[in-house]
Parts: sequence; structure tokens; C-alpha cells
Amino acid sequence: MTTPTRRTVLRTGAAGALGTAALAPGVLSPGAVAAPGARADRRTFAHGVASGDPLPRRVVIWTRVTPTPASTPGSGKGPQVTVRWEVARDAAFTRVVRRGNAVTGPSRDHTVKVDVDGLDADRWYHYRFVLDGRRSPVGRLRTAPRARAAVRRLRLGVVSCANWQAGMFAAYRGIAARDDLDAVLCLGDYLYEYAPGEYGYGNGNVDVRPHDPAREMVSLEDYRRRHAQYKTDPDLQAAHARYPWIVTWDDHETTNDAWRNGAENHQPDTEGDFKARRARAHRAYDEWMPVRMDGTARLGDGTRLYRRLTWGKLAEISMLDLRTYRSEQSSDPQAISDPARTITGKRQLAWLLDSLGRRASQWKVVGNPVMIAPVTLGALPTAKAQAVTEVTGLAPDEGVPINVDQWDGYTADRRQVFDHLRDLNIDDALFVTGDIHSAWAAELPFEKGTYPLSGTVGVEFVCSSVTSNNLDDITGGPEGSSAAVEATIKGANPHIKYLDFDRHGFSVLDITPVRAQMDWFVLGDRREADTTITHSASWLTRASSGTVEQAEGPAR
Amino acid sequence: MTAGHVDQRVAGLAEARAGRRTLLGAAGGAGVLFSTALGAGTAGAAVPAARTRKRAYVVVIDGCLPEEIDSGLTPNLQRLRDEGLRHPRAASLPVMETIPNHTMMMSGMRPDRTGVPANSVFDRELGEVRTLDRPSDLRAPTLLERLDRRGLRTGTVLSKEYLYGIFGTRATYRWEPAPIVPVAEYAPDEFTMTAAREMVTAHDPHLMFVNLGDIDRFGHSDLSGPGGLELLRRTALANTDRLVGGFVDLLREEGHWEHAIMVVLADHSMDFSFPDRVISLTAPLEADPMLAGQVAIADNGGADLLYWLGPARRRDEAVRRMRAIAEETDGVLEALDRRKASLRLGPEAGDVVVHCRDGWRFSDPDPVTSNPIPGNHGHPATRPIPFFISGGHPSVPRRTARPGLATTADVAPTVGQFFGLPAPRGGYDGRSRL
Repeated sequence: MTTPTRRTVLRTGAAGALGTAALAPGVLSPGAVAAPGARADRRTFAHGVASGDPLPRRVVIWTRVTPTPASTPGSGKGPQVTVRWEVARDAAFTRVVRRGNAVTGPSRDHTVKVDVDGLDADRWYHYRFVLDGRRSPVGRLRTAPRARAAVRRLRLGVVSCANWQAGMFAAYRGIAARDDLDAVLCLGDYLYEYAPGEYGYGNGNVDVRPHDPAREMVSLEDYRRRHAQYKTDPDLQAAHARYPWIVTWDDHETTNDAWRNGAENHQPDTEGDFKARRARAHRAYDEWMPVRMDGTARLGDGTRLYRRLTWGKLAEISMLDLRTYRSEQSSDPQAISDPARTITGKRQLAWLLDSLGRRASQWKVVGNPVMIAPVTLGALPTAKAQAVTEVTGLAPDEGVPINVDQWDGYTADRRQVFDHLRDLNIDDALFVTGDIHSAWAAELPFEKGTYPLSGTVGVEFVCSSVTSNNLDDITGGPEGSSAAVEATIKGANPHIKYLDFDRHGFSVLDITPVRAQMDWFVLGDRREADTTITHSASWLTRASSGTVEQAEGPAR
Repeated sequence: MTAGHVDQRVAGLAEARAGRRTLLGAAGGAGVLFSTALGAGTAGAAVPAARTRKRAYVVVIDGCLPEEIDSGLTPNLQRLRDEGLRHPRAASLPVMETIPNHTMMMSGMRPDRTGVPANSVFDRELGEVRTLDRPSDLRAPTLLERLDRRGLRTGTVLSKEYLYGIFGTRATYRWEPAPIVPVAEYAPDEFTMTAAREMVTAHDPHLMFVNLGDIDRFGHSDLSGPGGLELLRRTALANTDRLVGGFVDLLREEGHWEHAIMVVLADHSMDFSFPDRVISLTAPLEADPMLAGQVAIADNGGADLLYWLGPARRRDEAVRRMRAIAEETDGVLEALDRRKASLRLGPEAGDVVVHCRDGWRFSDPDPVTSNPIPGNHGHPATRPIPFFISGGHPSVPRRTARPGLATTADVAPTVGQFFGLPAPRGGYDGRSRL
């Protein structure tokens, strides 16, 4: 396999022809769509605008205001203010269709979140906020098609694992530069909890840019400040302003390897009660993300994040929360298959099975924070195995390494999901996954041991990380140096058809009634905001097939 | 080449009931005979023969899985699918068996209106389990006689004897399957397709309804199926595909294709079970003091239909018990009250519908002898089917796929709309896919 090293990608620069061709013309400058004749006040609206969770008539819009210089994120300071919001058919706001006022203040860190209702289905709109005559940047949003609409295409940006300290958010620039997406799917690790020096770039652990606050986030103020810091990134702001996002969290929105009652990176002695910490993390997430929790945009009325969105008859997107209800991680081979242990929690599992069994839409897209395809590491040299373990959370287990932070560590739940898919012969189950900082295309074998004869129950596409370290970063080798490891893993796991352990970037998931295709786009050097973005691979699954195959090129 | 009996409609009934062969075709074409009413298109004598050039061919690849069209074994089917209007999401309807889904195709109505919910039912009058293969079993009007009454010629070329039986003399022209493979009671596709070609050449029906049984029959008996090899089935797929390709070629040569739609679908798919994954509900039901001797079971492979034979006043309690016992049995996916609205099954389907899980089958009343075959359907695992519309008529969208759920009940509304036939009284339960 000939794979370009980072150096060759850099050298080819803008002539990374595939990637350039895939980007839409009219690349935007960082930030939002500019409204003619209206300058955005970037001091008052320093964190941009965002939208999310598109329904046929409703979409959540979001911003954060800084009404006084003292009203910095997490400060608890500043007045209560009323912010006007407007949604229009055009960027000049000559045809405003909805407007209203929202009150915000220090109690909610001056964030504004409105669930705008009364919109038309399947349409693009523009939105903005106004505080005392000062205007926000203009964002774009779109509504979902009606539930019964015969939709021909859905195209999603797919991202996960954006560690501020490990690099710049060029991947978000790539998302924002496109003009062909319907929404962006964020599969978790939108931000990281670590202090400067704890988790940076590469095996030297260099902070490309340090976190604020300069400590692990633990208090509510910490979480708010960290969210705020991420949302000052111009590329992230541009991606939020350009498309509605559909988000879920993984562990780092709270802290590493979180489970129901604790986390690897939580020390009760010094950091207090875990559930109180998690509640603060969830509070800040609810304040700062354009998402409905417990079905509403209101704060404090519940933190259920798993939810379903529908894109006509074409697709349903079930977003999972695989951290809040899960049992503690274990690498004990008895424990991983113990039916008493769970990764979803009982209610969410029942809800997921119901989602998969629904017949309203063709593709059952599952926004899945951690990988569901079974993975064994095979016969890797110890040093390599340790590196793989570090990047993916794959842990060796009595010489048979398994993937215990993921569905592989909770096989009873996975068995239920796979049995259900098989018993009802549910076609077109498509798991879209983040978390493990690497790109995968895999079939989901009904029984791994007898694959392929025993067939498959669906497929999984895994996006790489925006910046978070992967294998070459840990081993210190150049990009592409993990080819041997990739080959070993594919050899031990014949249902895994594609694996890239080294590159960073974003993906585009293109869904039609005939097939779903994932395109991976990769960065040159993620330490540079203006680095190259090139297409690296495309894999597709045909309707009803339950298999994946390489596609000829990125979706047009 | 018509067999002009004195009263074909009556004679057809008798033939179907008796299972007697009127004919006789040899493979190779010459000598294939068709039953017909006297004079094509005269059933409704008041209606003059229509002069439309439109043709519709409904071809059922019995028991085919949707993914098999992408297997590489069926290039002709794949091309027809990709060049026309494709429904990647399509489903067989309960009970996922051959006879009910064929009657749904031709009537556009669900079993609570057709009276045909399964292949096997317990006939309360007879007091025994029997196949629904009598013309009188099908209560709903079908396209076959409705189009015939409007002066359009219709034809059936159905490989299975029970299908020939239940559709009786509804079509203008009917081929009685022959030669028949013993036990399987169907004609191989080679012969069925020869008959279809002959019928086109001899009678050129406006609507032809063709059932090709090989893939289903080879699947049922394929002992390599549970292991995933499906050797017999793969051979059958390639052969059937070749025959369909040849049929399309004929339609082109005869000048019909450009005026035609061809609906290709399956009636259900197929699931394979290992010998140790057999469910028999007879013993656990007999062990219940209230149910003992009071329950009849109609085994439909992947679905058992349970009939309460006791007093009506105790029916609700009996249904509760039957469901509870069934759901505690290994391999059972669900045991549903037959009255559950979404099932759309009438009283012919009994009181409780039990579905098995993927990889299992029912064998009732005897756990060994009643159902020894590895390939089965009737349960939800066998719901997905291929479904696409091809043909040269301009009303067929080109290279289009739609995400909506198509079902077997959509065939009649689709073909009916194509011919401008009004909906039947009470409307269709399916909807046109054009």
C-alpha cells in the first residue's frame, strides 16, 4: 500500500488535487456568512453562533453574549440582558420569518439557546442575534424534510476528537468550506478536560496551544471557560455558523473513561464527588452546545442526550450516549460478557432496539460514540500493541487483546443489538463512530468466529480525529508508518476492510436510497490552521447488502 | 392453442380442487397449452376488447433476498433494477408466506380482506389444517378478472400448484404448472419460463403474472444453507436470472418492451435453520391444563398460527396463556394477538401468531417430522424483499431509487394505475409505486 507521508502531503500542498476538487468553490473566510451592510460585533458575540438538532419545523439556535468586558465566560459576572433573535429566508434579513427575545445572564453564563419553531420543512434559513443594536455574525441553518418526504440524499459532515492542545482545527475549516452538506454529525470528544502539559501533540506531548483554564476542568467555571475557549476558534465558529450540528458526547466532555459512577481521570479525594462533577459538565454542555437535552432547549430540565432525528423516509439518526449509564470498564474476560454489565443502560438499549426496528425510514444511522465492530489485535509485537492500546483504548487481555472501552467490553449489550438486527432482518443499519482517532470501514459480523458465512447485521464507518493523537503520533513514526499494524489488524479481523491509524481530519457521509458512502479527508500538518486538506479514501455500503466496498472516489 | 372446455370457469375449479392436470406441456415450447375461458377478454362480454399496447409483467422471484441481486449471480436482474425504479426498502407482509403475498400482489388488499392470511390454516369447518389453495379461499377481487372484464387479456404462469389452485380461473389464460417436482409440488423455472414465453407468443396478455419457484424451492431444501454456503440456491439464482434475461429479450423482440412495465419482486425472503433450532409448541401447550386438547396449530415454517378450539367466552384467557407459553419457549421471537391491528389478519389466521427468531423454525405438531426442511420463512427475519419496476414504457422512471417502504400489496395499485383501472370498492391497502 502506497500511502503519502505527512512530508509528501505538505510538499504537494494545494496540489492535493483530490481534496481541492472536493471542496466547494467560494471558500468562506473564517467566521460566518457575512450579512450585507451589517458588521458583526465580535466582541459582544466573541463565541460565534451555532444551530443544531434540525427537525422539520424546529431548529435550535445558539450564541453567547459578552455584554460587559467583565462578563467573561465562567465569571458569573455581568447583567441580565435581553437578546433579540431573527430567522430569515435571506442573508440580508429582508424576509424575516421568525423573531423573538431571549433573556440571559450570569446564571447561564450568558448563553442564549432558542428552539425556533414554525419553520418550513426542508429549507435553508439565516439567523442572527442582536444585543442593544450590536449584531452577531449571521449563521445558516436548515430544517429537516417532513417525516414522510421521499428524500433522495442526505450529506453529513462527520467529526470527533478535537483536542485544542494537539493542533489547529483545520478539519473544521474543511467542513465550513463545503457548500454541499446538510448538517454536521459530532460524535464526541468535542473538547478535552486536560491541563496544559497533560495531553498535547505527538509523542513529545507538545501543546500546540494551551488549554484555558490552565488546569484540568473540574468546576463549573472550568467547564464553561473551556467550552468558551474552543468556541473562539475561527474554524470551529465557521463550521458552526455554516451548518446545523447534531452532537453527542463521549467521555472527555466530562473526563477520560467516564462511566456511570466514576472515571479513570477522576480522583474523588481531590476532585470531589464524581456525579456532582458530571452534573457540572453536563450543565456547561447544555449551556454551550446547540442541542436539545431531554427533548428541549431549556436548561436544567434533564440531561438525556440520546435522541432520534428523522430525515424523511431516507434516514433516521439515533444519537447515543454511551457514557452516562455504562458500567465500569473491565478487561476481565468473564466480566466483559456479563449480562449484568451495560454500555447503554437498560432504557437506552430498549430505545435503541426500538429505533432500529422502526420502519419509517430506510437507513438506520446510529451516532455511536465508541466502536461496535469487534476487534482483536492479533499477533502484534508488544511495543506496537501498547501503542495501539494507548491510542484506541484497546487493552490487552491475557494475550488476547480486546477493545474494552468500546462495545467489545460490553458484549452482552452488543449481542442484544446484533440479535435484534438479525431477528427482524433489519437492513441498512449504519453505525457512524468516533472516539478512536483513526479511520475504519467495517462490516458487523453476526458472529465473528464464523464470518463471513454467518453474515453481517450492518456496517460501521469510523471517522478519524480532528487533532487528537493517533498511532504514528505515539510511535513517533511518520504518517503511513502504521501500515504493518493496520495489515495485522485487518488480517486478524477479516470484517475490517479499511483502517488508517495515522491521519487526522473529517469525513463526509453521503446517503442515498441506493448506498451510503463515507469519504475521509485528511490534513497535512494539523499544527497549522491553513494546512492542506486532501481526500484519502472512500468506502460505501449498498442498500440491503450489509457489506462495505471501496468507492471509486468522493461523492459528487 | 386454447383448451376450450365447455365451461372453463367451473372446470377450472374442479381441476384446481382435484389437483388434476389438464395438460401437459413439454419443455421446448411446442405443445404448451393454456386453459382459458371461451374467447379471450369475453368474461365481461359487454366490454369491447381494449386496444391498448400497454403490457404489464409481474415476475415473482419466489423467496429471493434483496441482497442476492447484488451477489454477482444475477446480472440481468441487477441491470433491470438499476435501470428502472428501485425500492431498496421493500417488505413482504404477514404472514410472510407465498400464497398470502401473491394474493396481496394481485388484489392490493391485506389478508383481513382477502381471507388468505397464510399458506396453512386450520379450517374450523373441516376440523383440520389445510393449504389455502381453493379458488373460493380468495375473497377479494384481483387484477386478473378485473382487467379481463374490461376486455384486457390476463395470464397466470405460476410454478406452484397451490398458486394455480387459489387463483382458479380468474385469469383469461392460465398455465397449469407441469411437469411437477414431487413433494415440492412445483414446476422448475425452465418449464415455467418456457410456458411464459409461449403465452406471450400465443396470447400476448396485457397483464401476465409469473411465479418462478426455483430459488425458493432450492432454498427450502438446501442443506448447505444454514452454514451460509447455499450452494443449491446460488446455482438456482444464476439460472433463474438467465431465464428472466431471455424473457426480456423475447419481449423486446416481440415489440412489447417499449410499451411495458415489469414489476420484479419476491413474495418473501428465506432464512436457514440448523437442525437443533426447532420449536415445537404442541407439547408445552398440551401441558397446560386449560389448553390441553383445545388448541390447533397451523405450522407455516417461521410462523405458527394457534387456534383456540374451546368456548368463546374463555378465548381471552386462552390467548393470554398461549402467548405466555409461546414467549417462554426458546427460539420464539414474539407471540402476538392475531387481532393486533398492524397485522391485518382475519379470523382465518386463528387467535395467536407466533414468530420464531432468525435461524429457527417451527415444527408442529410433530417436532421431528412436521417440518424437517432447513429453509423457512413466515417470520420477521424473512420480511425484506427485492422490489423494482423496469420496462420500456415512459411511465417507468429511469435509474431512480426511492426510500419509501414498498410492499407486496403495492403491486395491484401500481399495475391498476398503469392500465387506468379504478380502485376496487373499499380501495387498495397498498399504493401505486409509479
